[in-house]
Amino acid sequence: MKRLTGFKVIALVAVALLLGPVAAPAFQGEGTLRIGGMWALSGGAAFFGKAALGLATLAADEINEAGGVTVAGKRVKITMHPQDDACNAEQGLAAVRRLATVDKVLFSLGPTCSSVAEPVFGTLQKKLGDSGDTGLQLLFFTDTATKFGLAKLSPWVFRNTPDEPAMYDFIVKYLKETKPELKTVMVSYESDFAHSAATWKGALEPALKKYGHHEIKEVVDWRWLDTEMGAQITKLRRANADVYFALAHTTSMCPSLKEMKSQRVRPKMIIGITSLAGTEVLINCPDLAEGVISPTNFAPINPKAKQIADKSWEKYKADSNIHSVPAYENVHLIKGLIEKAQLKNTEESLLEDRRKVRDLLAKVGTFQGVIGKITLHPEDHPVKPRDVDKDMLLVQVKNAKWSVFWAPPHLKGN
Amino acid sequence: MDYYVAIASIIGIHALLGLSVYVVAISGQMSFGQQGFFAIGAYLAGMSTAMWGLGLVPALVLGALVAGAMGFVVGFPALRVRGLYLAIATFGFGEIVRLAFLNVRYTENIGGRVVGPNGAEGFRHVRYVYDRGFTGLHYLAVILVVLVVVVILFFLLERSKVGAKLRAVEEDETAAAMIGINVTRVKVVAFAAAAAVAGLGGGLFIHYSTYIDHDMVALPLAIASVTYPLLGGLGSFVGTLLGAIVLVGLTEGLRGLQGMREFVYGGLIILMMIFRPRGIVDEALVLRVKSWLSPRAPREPVQAP
Amino acid sequence: MLDATEQFINGLMFGCLYALIGGGFTILFGVMRRFNMAYGSTIMAGAYVALVPVYLFRAPAWLMVLTGIAAAVLVGLLVEFCCFRFIKKGHELAPLMTTIGMLIVINEAIVHATDAVGLKYPSPFGDVALELGQFLVRRDYLAVLVAGVVCFTLIFLLLYRTRFGRAMRAVAERPEAAQILGVSVRRVNVLTFVLTSALAGVIGFFAAVSVGSARPDMAFFVTGKGLVVMVLGGLGSLPGAIVGGLVLGVLEFEATWFLGATYRDILAFVILFLVLVFRPQGLVGTRTT
Repeated sequence: MKRLTGFKVIALVAVALLLGPVAAPAFQGEGTLRIGGMWALSGGAAFFGKAALGLATLAADEINEAGGVTVAGKRVKITMHPQDDACNAEQGLAAVRRLATVDKVLFSLGPTCSSVAEPVFGTLQKKLGDSGDTGLQLLFFTDTATKFGLAKLSPWVFRNTPDEPAMYDFIVKYLKETKPELKTVMVSYESDFAHSAATWKGALEPALKKYGHHEIKEVVDWRWLDTEMGAQITKLRRANADVYFALAHTTSMCPSLKEMKSQRVRPKMIIGITSLAGTEVLINCPDLAEGVISPTNFAPINPKAKQIADKSWEKYKADSNIHSVPAYENVHLIKGLIEKAQLKNTEESLLEDRRKVRDLLAKVGTFQGVIGKITLHPEDHPVKPRDVDKDMLLVQVKNAKWSVFWAPPHLKGN
Repeated sequence: MDYYVAIASIIGIHALLGLSVYVVAISGQMSFGQQGFFAIGAYLAGMSTAMWGLGLVPALVLGALVAGAMGFVVGFPALRVRGLYLAIATFGFGEIVRLAFLNVRYTENIGGRVVGPNGAEGFRHVRYVYDRGFTGLHYLAVILVVLVVVVILFFLLERSKVGAKLRAVEEDETAAAMIGINVTRVKVVAFAAAAAVAGLGGGLFIHYSTYIDHDMVALPLAIASVTYPLLGGLGSFVGTLLGAIVLVGLTEGLRGLQGMREFVYGGLIILMMIFRPRGIVDEALVLRVKSWLSPRAPREPVQAP
Repeated sequence: MLDATEQFINGLMFGCLYALIGGGFTILFGVMRRFNMAYGSTIMAGAYVALVPVYLFRAPAWLMVLTGIAAAVLVGLLVEFCCFRFIKKGHELAPLMTTIGMLIVINEAIVHATDAVGLKYPSPFGDVALELGQFLVRRDYLAVLVAGVVCFTLIFLLLYRTRFGRAMRAVAERPEAAQILGVSVRRVNVLTFVLTSALAGVIGFFAAVSVGSARPDMAFFVTGKGLVVMVLGGLGSLPGAIVGGLVLGVLEFEATWFLGATYRDILAFVILFLVLVFRPQGLVGTRTT
C-alpha cells in the first residue's frame, strides 16, 4: 500500500513536469503584443525583481488604458510575460529561452542580477545577422543589472541603468569644489560582490586619482553577507577620515553602520553605493542610515515622478527606485518604437520584428525619462555602446526618508 | 523547442555533478565539495578554449584531468575521515576552491575584450560553442555524448571488480579490508574519478553559459548536487539521472505557479522522501528489476522500503 | 596590541553566539544521529516571529524572546513531524533531504512575507559601546555572553540533574539499550526538538539583535557556523561545541584584523579541513568513535 502511494506521489510530480512547460498559450492571434521580463521574483533579490515587475506592469496598464498600441493598422493590448530567475544563472539560462521561444515575446526587460545577466547576455548573438553565430536573438532592454560593460556582451542588449563611473566622478569633483576642506577619505566595499568591487576599482578609485584632491587614508573590505565588521570599523576609526565612502549594499551597510555607531566613528560625510537609494535600507536601518548620501537617477522631484511612485506602490506594492523606474521608462519608449517600426506581429515575423525594434532602439538617441532627458548611446560609442547617460541626483536619508541633497539646476525648475 | 533543449542541457550538466556525488556515495560517504571540482573543471576548460586556443574536446579532457588530479590530492587526507566529518571536510575544500577563484586574476586582452578569470568580476567570453555555430541541439548532443560515455563507464564499473570492491567497502570497511581489499586505494581512486566527472560537468557548463563566477559554485550548488542522488536513489546511477530530471524539471515545470513555486518544490521533496526514503531507485527496486530482466537469477528476498 | 586585544575580547563574546548555535546542532545530532538542515531555518523563523509583538505594540525585549521561543518550538515540532516522524530507522540520509525541502519552504515563506528585505531589529541593550578602561566593548555582545552562560548552565542542569536529561543522554549514547531500559525514544526525540528549538528562539533573537536586523540569509549563516563549530568541537560533545564556538569567534576577529576578510574565510576553512583530517575527534575530544 505504501509503495503504491509513493508511486502516486511520483506520478503527481510527473504530471506537474509535463503540464508546466507545455501550458504555454497560443500566439498573438488574440490581438495582443507580448513583452517579457526576467527578474528575481523569489529568493534573496526578490525585492528588486518585484519592484521592476510592478513598474513595468504599471506602464503596460497605462498604455492599455489609453487604447493599446497600434501594430499593423490594428490597436492591440500589451501583455506582460514575467519569468522568475531567482537570481540563479541556470534558471536564467532556461528562462531566457522560454521567453524567446515559448512565450515568444518581442523583447524582454530585466534581469535583476548582474550574475544572471552575464551568462544570459553572453549566450545572445554576438555578430548581428550572422547565421554562423548561433547565439539567441532576443532583444533585451535592461532596467536593473548594473555591472559596468554588460551591454557590450551582445548587440541585442540595451540598458537603461546607472553609469557608476560618471556618478562617482561627479561626486568627487563636487566634493572638491564645494567642500574643499574635506581632504581625507576612507572606503569600504564588498570584495565578493562584483558590483561593489567594480564600483571601487572601476569608478571611485579612478575618480579619486583623477582629481588628486583627496588623500585615501584607509580601504577595508568585507563580504556582502557579513554581519560582523568590528575589525574593519576599528581600522576606519583609527583612520578617522573626513569622508567615508561606504560602497556596500543594504545587507552589509546596516550592520557596518551599527558597528560605527557603537565605536563612535562619525565621519563628516557618508556616501553610499548607487543601489542604496531605495526603500530597502529604510526598512532595514532607518535610524542608522540617517544622513547617508547616495547617488541615484530617481527621486520623486516632479509631479509625474510623484504620481508614478504613489501609483506603483498603491497598485502593486512596488518600490519606485533607481532600478525599477527604468522598467517603466523602457516600456513606454519601446511602445513608441513599435508604432514606428511597422511590425507584422505574427509568429513567423517574430525574429524580423525584434530586429526592427532593435535597429530603431540603436538610433533612438535622446528620449524623455521620468525625471529628465536620457541619452541612449549608439552602437559605435567608444566607451559604452547601447548604455545610457542620464541625469543624476544625490539623495540623503532625512527622518527615515530619502530627500534630495543635490539636483542638477535644470531639473529644479520642473 | 529551444526551451526544452535548454532544460535538457542543464539536466545533463547537473546529472554529471550528481553522478560525481553518487560515486562517492556508493563508497559509503557523502561529499558536499563536488562543486569545487566542478569549478576547477569549468575554469580550466574555459581558459583552454578562450585563452589558449584549444578545441572543445581537449579542453573538457584537460578540465576533467586536473579536477581528477585534485581529487586524488585531496582524497588522500580527506578520506581518513568519514560520515559527517567527510561531508564537512569536503565542503571546506569546496569553499577553499571558491575563495581561491574569487582571488585569481589571470586575464588577457583578446580582440579588445578582457578574457580570463577576473576575481569577483568573474570569467567572461567563453564563446567557443556559439562562435562556431553550434546550435542548442548540437551542444545538447555533445552533453549527452559525454553523459553516455560516463554512464557506460559507470555501467562497466558497477559490474567490474572495482565496483564490487566499492560496494564491499560501503557495506563494511573492516570486512573489506579483511578480505584483502586496499580500502584507502579503492576510496581514493573512486574519489578522484568522481572529481573528474564533476570537472567534466563544469567544463560543459562554462561553455554553455559563457560565464562563471565564484558565486555560482557556492553552497546552493553543493546542496543541489547532493539532492540528485539522494532523491533519485543510491541503488543505481539511473537514480541520479532520474533525480536530476525530476528536480531540474520541477524547477521549470512549476513556473506556472509563480510565487508558489518554491513552496510546492520543497513540499514535494519532503513527500517523495517520506514515501521513498532511499530515493526513487532504491536497492529493492534495483533487485526487482534485475530479477525481471533475468528470471533465471535467484530471486533474492526483497526488503520492503 | 591594544586593538588586537580588543578584537580578542569581542571575538570571545561573539563566539558565545557561535557556541550556542553549535550547541543546538550538537544536541540535535547527538540524540537523533541525523542531520537537521532545517535547524538554521528554525532559528531564523524564531527571529522573525519575535518581531511581531514589536509591530503590534512596543513590546519589551523579554516578550520578544518568549515569542521567539514559542514560534521556534512550533516550527521545530513541524520539522520533527514532517521530516523525521515518518522516516523509519535505517534511512539516515532521508532526513537530510526532507530537511533540505523544509529549509526551502521556511525560507521561501519568509521571503514571501517580507520580499526578502531585512527587518529592523530593536536594540534593547543600547547601540553605543561600553568603555572598559581602554577597550570598547559592545553591549549586545555582552548580552550574548550572558545569554550563552545562562543557556549552557540550564542545558547542563537539564542534562545532568533531571530524569529527562538522563533519558536523553541514554538515547544519545546507546539508543537500543535505552529502549530496553524502558525509555521512550520517540518521546525523547520530540522533547529534544522542543529543547533545541527553544534554544533556537534564543539564538535567533540574539543573532538578530547583534546584527541589527532579521534577514533572509540568516539560515545559511547559522547553518554554516553551526556545522563548523560542531566539527571543531568534536561531533556530539557539548563542551567541545563551547570551545569550538569561542575558538572560531576569536579566530575570525583576529584574522579579519590582521589579514582582512578574504584571507579570514580561507584561513577558517583551511583550519577546519586540517582539524577534521588530523584531529577528527575535535579540539577537546578524546574518544575515537
